[in-house]
Amino acid sequence: MAAPVLVTRESSRPGGESPRPLKPVRVAVVGLGRAGLAHATVLATIPDCELVGAVDRRGEARARLRGLGYRARPFASQPRMLAALQPDVVFVCGPQHERAAAAREALEAGAAVFVEHPLGVTLEEAEGVVARAAETRRPLACACSLAFTPVFGRAHDLVAAGALGSVRQARSSMFVSRVFDNAHPVHHQPGPIAGGVLAQIAAELLFVLVWTLGRPVEARATSSRMYGNLEDEVHAMMTLAGGAEVGLDCSWSMPGYPEPATVIELEGDNGKMLVSDDGIEADLAIARGGLGAGQTRLRSAELPQIAAFDWGGEATYLMDASFLAWATGGPKVPNQGEFALQVHRVMDALYRSARAGGELQRIEP
Amino acid sequence: MSKRRFEPPRLLLAAASLRRAARVPRDRMLEVAERYREPESLAVTVSKALNAGAEGVLATPSPVLDTALGELGRVVPLYAVLPDLPHTGRHDLNPGRVDPLSTDRVNDGGMGTLWTRISHAWLLARRDIGALVRLRIEAEAGRIRRKALRGVVVAAGITDLALAGEHRIFFERLTSFIHGRFGARAAFETLNLGLLLERLREWEVRPDFVVGPVNPRGVMTKPSLPATLDEMARSQVPVVATQLRATGLVTLDEGARFALDHGALGLAPDLADMDDVGAELTRLRGWREEKVRLEGSRSA
Repeated sequence: MAAPVLVTRESSRPGGESPRPLKPVRVAVVGLGRAGLAHATVLATIPDCELVGAVDRRGEARARLRGLGYRARPFASQPRMLAALQPDVVFVCGPQHERAAAAREALEAGAAVFVEHPLGVTLEEAEGVVARAAETRRPLACACSLAFTPVFGRAHDLVAAGALGSVRQARSSMFVSRVFDNAHPVHHQPGPIAGGVLAQIAAELLFVLVWTLGRPVEARATSSRMYGNLEDEVHAMMTLAGGAEVGLDCSWSMPGYPEPATVIELEGDNGKMLVSDDGIEADLAIARGGLGAGQTRLRSAELPQIAAFDWGGEATYLMDASFLAWATGGPKVPNQGEFALQVHRVMDALYRSARAGGELQRIEP
Repeated sequence: MSKRRFEPPRLLLAAASLRRAARVPRDRMLEVAERYREPESLAVTVSKALNAGAEGVLATPSPVLDTALGELGRVVPLYAVLPDLPHTGRHDLNPGRVDPLSTDRVNDGGMGTLWTRISHAWLLARRDIGALVRLRIEAEAGRIRRKALRGVVVAAGITDLALAGEHRIFFERLTSFIHGRFGARAAFETLNLGLLLERLREWEVRPDFVVGPVNPRGVMTKPSLPATLDEMARSQVPVVATQLRATGLVTLDEGARFALDHGALGLAPDLADMDDVGAELTRLRGWREEKVRLEGSRSA
């Protein structure tokens, strides 16, 4: 007899306007490492979401999920899971070099697919996944929790509403204290990975920049390696179609940042805006986009906190629940596959530039 | 063991910010870290807190805290938040950090955990979260002076993992384990207070208390502020409220009054919530006592 599945309870009092699937949805998680476990935890708390299957070739990882109380049916291989369960949605969270193939396979099986970032180890892999999603007409999204962090979402909305007018210049940074020697597990992955700090961490900041400001047309970057073959720091400069310059600095080897710290400074025709994990500070010449003239300070905690479950903050819940909503007929998500591919192209250009010693690279549409 | 022995605390000094685990603005976190970098300054603050009526310290043991408490020359009641979880987050690339109960640390604790390792071998092999947590708590609580250990508070990172998995047995057995093994209060810290209270009520599981965010702005109150307040009103499990200042949106006075008015039994403001620990805790203690008096006279 098959193990009983966990059916998430219908919340008696859902949190405000928290996103949720429009109808009951059956979900499987592929890969039960850090990301897979986090998604399983959050998915289990989303109303109308049923975690039906979990895939990991490691018996220990499957046991760990069961040990946490989950009753999702465990599988050692994705094809078997897809054939047995035919889930509506698959969250692909396995090792990076396996994600693109797993995503294509799940799309071909008719599932909507959410892939942990990056979408592929190479740009070609990412393009292949997005092409398959288009062919199968199934929803595809790539993780970007920063876009679902309320403060960065609000900053995007303010810029889109024209609060700053035309943006002339942007600077940004993302720092975290993680990699301080080559013994760090990121240097010992089971297969190739997309890159170092830019691909693993700052890709989310890059996503938010492209989402908020538009796609750059050219880019240049330099990088430095201190602890191994992956870059530990990147300094990048991108140019938007209108001529605005966008800078990005990132490091995963910066002391003093046990939690990641992200900052974006924007300067436009109508004033300036500073966006950080702690909030938004704006100084506008005239009232626009919902902000008054002069200085405005909006703290993160003042923004609506609509996620119904806190797992390291709001973002993971909102990201997963929004995707399930889209997969069941709701509105599209900002991190849909096609957009994630655009961001991947920018990242690819930055890596090409860094390899060429900072040479300017065109970014193809 | 009498139930009275496990009465929940009414006022604690929380010290999550020492490990940068409290959710406050980065500038405030750095300020607190700098202020308490030397154990001597932390010892002075803890002493003031105890003199002001705090019944103990709510914190995960750390070298700085251990040194500070050692300098005081008196037993400081500790409500230990265990197990000691590393910082985690989606940007964490270290798989060991992913699994808060990595087997790397299962053999900590030496002879103190031998019996659990033998008697729970099957559950440990199945990576049952209850058995793994039990082992980690035994190992870590074993390093705390028994006289000082007044309570074991299961860390939110674990509580919420088991909560999402609806692991009723985890909550049930861990409570009785902590009572039996340490003779201390058994509690659960959570970032999803409303949901935890709802499940505990449905499962009829009653730890001595739970620790979670309560504030008038609804910051970190999940699944929502109304749902959390509703559960607090219905629950028979006492709540010790944290995040009283809503990361700085309200004053400590507003947050504390709100929490007490909505049924919180205890308060646990963090070091990052206060500038003058002695004065502010004295005021909180006064309100608590006044509220108890008023309720007593009303019921009389």
